[in-house]
Amino acid sequence: MKAGTQGSRVAAGKGVAFSKSPVLAVRLPDWRSRVVLFVLFAAFIALAGRALWLQGVSNRFLQKQGASRYERTLELPATRGKIFDRNGVVLASSLPVKAVWGIPEDVKASSPEKLRQLAELLEMPQAELLKKLDSDRTFVYLKRQVEMDVIAKIEKLDIDGLDTRKEYKRFYPQGEVMAHMVGFTNVEDVGQEAMELAQQKNLVGQTGSRRVIKDRLGRIVEDVGLSREPHDGRDLILSVDSKLQYIAHNSIKEAVEKFHAKAGAAVVLDVHTGEVLALANWPTYNPNDRSHLTGEQLRNRVITDTFEPGSTLKPFTVALAMDKGLIKPTTLFDTGTRPYMTGGHPIRDTHPHGVIDVSTIIQKSSNIGTTKISEMLSSQEMWEMFTKVGFGQAPRYGFPGAVAGRVRPYKSWRIVEKANMSFGQGISMSLLQLAHAWLIFARDGDIIPLSFQKTSEKPVGQQIISPKTAAQMRTMVEMVVGPGGTASKAQVAGYRVGGKTGTAQKVIDGRYSQTRYVGNFVGIAPMSNPRFVIAVLIDDPSGVYHTGGSVAAPTFAALAANALRAENVPPDSTVTDIIIPEHPLEESN
Amino acid sequence: MSGKMNIVLTVMLVGCALSVVNARYQARHLFIDIERLTQQQRQLEIDWAQLQLDQSTLGKNERIEQIARSELTMTPLSPARTQYLTEGGK
Repeated sequence: MKAGTQGSRVAAGKGVAFSKSPVLAVRLPDWRSRVVLFVLFAAFIALAGRALWLQGVSNRFLQKQGASRYERTLELPATRGKIFDRNGVVLASSLPVKAVWGIPEDVKASSPEKLRQLAELLEMPQAELLKKLDSDRTFVYLKRQVEMDVIAKIEKLDIDGLDTRKEYKRFYPQGEVMAHMVGFTNVEDVGQEAMELAQQKNLVGQTGSRRVIKDRLGRIVEDVGLSREPHDGRDLILSVDSKLQYIAHNSIKEAVEKFHAKAGAAVVLDVHTGEVLALANWPTYNPNDRSHLTGEQLRNRVITDTFEPGSTLKPFTVALAMDKGLIKPTTLFDTGTRPYMTGGHPIRDTHPHGVIDVSTIIQKSSNIGTTKISEMLSSQEMWEMFTKVGFGQAPRYGFPGAVAGRVRPYKSWRIVEKANMSFGQGISMSLLQLAHAWLIFARDGDIIPLSFQKTSEKPVGQQIISPKTAAQMRTMVEMVVGPGGTASKAQVAGYRVGGKTGTAQKVIDGRYSQTRYVGNFVGIAPMSNPRFVIAVLIDDPSGVYHTGGSVAAPTFAALAANALRAENVPPDSTVTDIIIPEHPLEESN
Repeated sequence: MSGKMNIVLTVMLVGCALSVVNARYQARHLFIDIERLTQQQRQLEIDWAQLQLDQSTLGKNERIEQIARSELTMTPLSPARTQYLTEGGK
């Protein structure tokens, strides 16, 4: 590129070429070519430097950019643990479903016919769908937890701007029968009630992730880097027996309808292991369809409600006095024929019983008799007894919402209050606490912790009363169910059972109501070798009957009969036909 | 001597290169297989969960009782009409 290569500049032609003219001859200075050469060289150096810089030193940014074009991080979903009953029946299980979402602007642009079909598939009125789409946002959930077969149909519609997102839906195959035991989760798969809530931490899974290279067609070609394994939630095996639960549910449902009650509840405990075998409430709800859920339906009366049990508490007073050696089952008490005055207040029995022994006091449920026994005990002794069996103590059942009930400190007890508490008034507890405390009679005087999960190990008990006292108490409560007792309707054909009725007036506006009652019954079955403690509560029966003996006792009988049969417990009585007296004895309260 | 050595080394190098290609190819194949099988495993787990649910739904005590009573006209057992056999008894 040297200037002045004159040969090439010679124009082909005749005469004198103008370029030959020395005037016109262009002479470029030599330094210009050198400058160009230098600039070009410098440019190449700069390029090489830049290349080296990008390749060797500051390469992270570009690698990242590159990776983001072919690498993908996949989220690996983890499933929430399943819940089983003690026999392996599924009570709750999660299945993958999809949430339908859309970009409103794009979805609205599709044909009205397609939108109509979409609304139909999503099972919502078209107006509602349009209302959801009438939004400025770029992301709108149209419906969550849509099942896969519906999703397939929606995808066939091929609507622009409509997409799906994977999620899980919880299914409860046993429905309302198990509702109060299992609970439910919300759309985010977070436990809201009962065991789903209590065991949330264990049930929830841990999502994992992995980084992969995808090819042009979106297939995974290779794993890169570290991947985090997803961990499914742990499965949960409950103590509940779905067969017994169904029996309890049915008995309670029938009883509430038959006695026109406001509500009912029942709980069945395993005497040997302390497991909760059934826990039923009526009214209940369907956990699969919670659109019309009310507080009444949600309420778990076994655990979260307290009530004054009434006479079902008498055996504790009697057992305490017997255990201290103050009385024997045959010790006689004069219950008189008129109200008995204590601390300036009258204590009444529904029928005059005259002179009766301790067994008969329990059998006929005499308030006066129990008061006289309680006079032999100090307030502190009674308070200690109540506290040791769990009344007024914060329960550790591992169940959300469990209440402690109320036992006032013994120092503030007045004489009449002590008498009242001896037969179960002025003291409150949940049905589960009451049933739990009754384990001391069903077992050999010791109390074991309750469990909502299936246990295999033998629980360690705490001795409350002597085995001898427990055995004597069992004999007494068996008489309650016999002829002449207050709970003859609790008899079960073929089995020896025992228990105690209780009727408490409801406290309304701080006063005892004279017309509204809570009837309850706690029983043990079968007596020869106790298997179950069953507690039944009928709230506000408004029919002809309202006492524990007439509403809760027959419910117990129905429940116990079916439960014993379902669990293949051999009969321990030869009595196969029950004769219930036409006018069974009414209890005092 | 060194010429022969070079040839041997070249052959070995080419051999190694080819075996790398082959191993790579095999790895891809195996990877695709494992992907497919994991996918299948996940699907089977879902199916299993679905079947368990179906079993629980169909085995609902309520449904069994209803069918037993209405379709099969069965009645509950009562001790009054049950013969109990005890081991060793006569």
